Amino acid sequence: MQQKRKQLEYERLVLVYSDELFRYALWLCRDKSMAEDLLQETCMRAWKSLDKLRDTSSSKAWLMTILRNEHARQYARYRPDMVDLDLDMLSLRDTDNDTSADAFALKQALNELADEYKEPLLLQVIAGLSCEEIASVCNITKSATMTRLFRAKQKLRDVLRPDEAVVGE
Amino acid sequence: MKCDDFKFEYTVAPNEIGVEASEHLASCGQCQLFAEQESVFEQQLKGVINRGVPDGLRHSLREHVYKVRFWNVPKASLALAASLLVAVGVVTINPTQNQLSALPVDQLVYEHFSHDGMSSTQASHQLNEQELIKVSKELGVRVTLAENISFAEKCPIGDSYGLHMVYQYQQQPVTVIYMPEITLDKTIPFHYAGLHGWVKPLKNGSIAVLGGSTIDIPDEEFADKAIEWL
Repeated sequence: MQQKRKQLEYERLVLVYSDELFRYALWLCRDKSMAEDLLQETCMRAWKSLDKLRDTSSSKAWLMTILRNEHARQYARYRPDMVDLDLDMLSLRDTDNDTSADAFALKQALNELADEYKEPLLLQVIAGLSCEEIASVCNITKSATMTRLFRAKQKLRDVLRPDEAVVGE
Repeated sequence: MKCDDFKFEYTVAPNEIGVEASEHLASCGQCQLFAEQESVFEQQLKGVINRGVPDGLRHSLREHVYKVRFWNVPKASLALAASLLVAVGVVTINPTQNQLSALPVDQLVYEHFSHDGMSSTQASHQLNEQELIKVSKELGVRVTLAENISFAEKCPIGDSYGLHMVYQYQQQPVTVIYMPEITLDKTIPFHYAGLHGWVKPLKNGSIAVLGGSTIDIPDEEFADKAIEWL
């Protein structure tokens, strides 16, 4: 019965969070196959240590931490010849891809954003994690998280020059 | 609170602003304009960051873990388990609803719906009819309304499994959940968390049919037409 409960809990996690985990993995790996492999390994590790998850309300942050650690572990072991893929390449299968000039500018700016700023932003936008949860996933303080989120968004917003857009409207 | 402080707090996490920031927002026209612009920006950001997800991702993640688990079991244990199965025969256990979960059925259904409801009604989910046959067969049934079903997945519900489907009724998505291990004495109306519908007992288990409060729901006879026993 214990095993069945574990299986159901695992399936529940997969059902609820697999899309968000995949999106985050895709940003980390920049390659669809690698992202799928990373996610499979993440799920395997989650399954193995599911008994350690005491507070189910923190499952999303817990899974994101596993994924992030697993990516760091794989990346340390195997550093592939990175091809600097254009983000449009990642979204070839995305039917509702925004092709506007703003979206293009945002993609470019995101690409150029340093990882320390990009990571908290991705965790917030993709997974909807709170500042406190992001701090715990990234192993930084909450105030550092807030600063990084602010700077990341400021840089991206500068790209879009909202003041001009407002005037234009 | 100063406008600059508000802008910092709002930019960092619009959903997490404190009471003071909320009060400032309510009283400051300039910051209201800022918040509107931020909202547009956040939407653009989501659109750029959130990419598509491959079809069948969930299924592959389930399969991967179960396959690896199976092959990680010591082969001697597998052989022993197989011998025991042959010697003792298959024992079927039919737990009752009380053993399964203490949660009321409407809460169970809603909890499941809140996990899967959004993705199931997305138009991007195209149902493969063979998949429907396969997944419904696992639960011992055949779904007879295949052409109007846009989504079907075997999902955990409470402590057991159910078949979650989305049925196009009068061009609106209606959620249908067949729960083979959850039994009821009589049909109960479902009004919970902004959803409405009903849950009806069947020969084996029960079926829930629900939708948003503004959506028309088929009547109870639908249940008898929807499922056939294998």
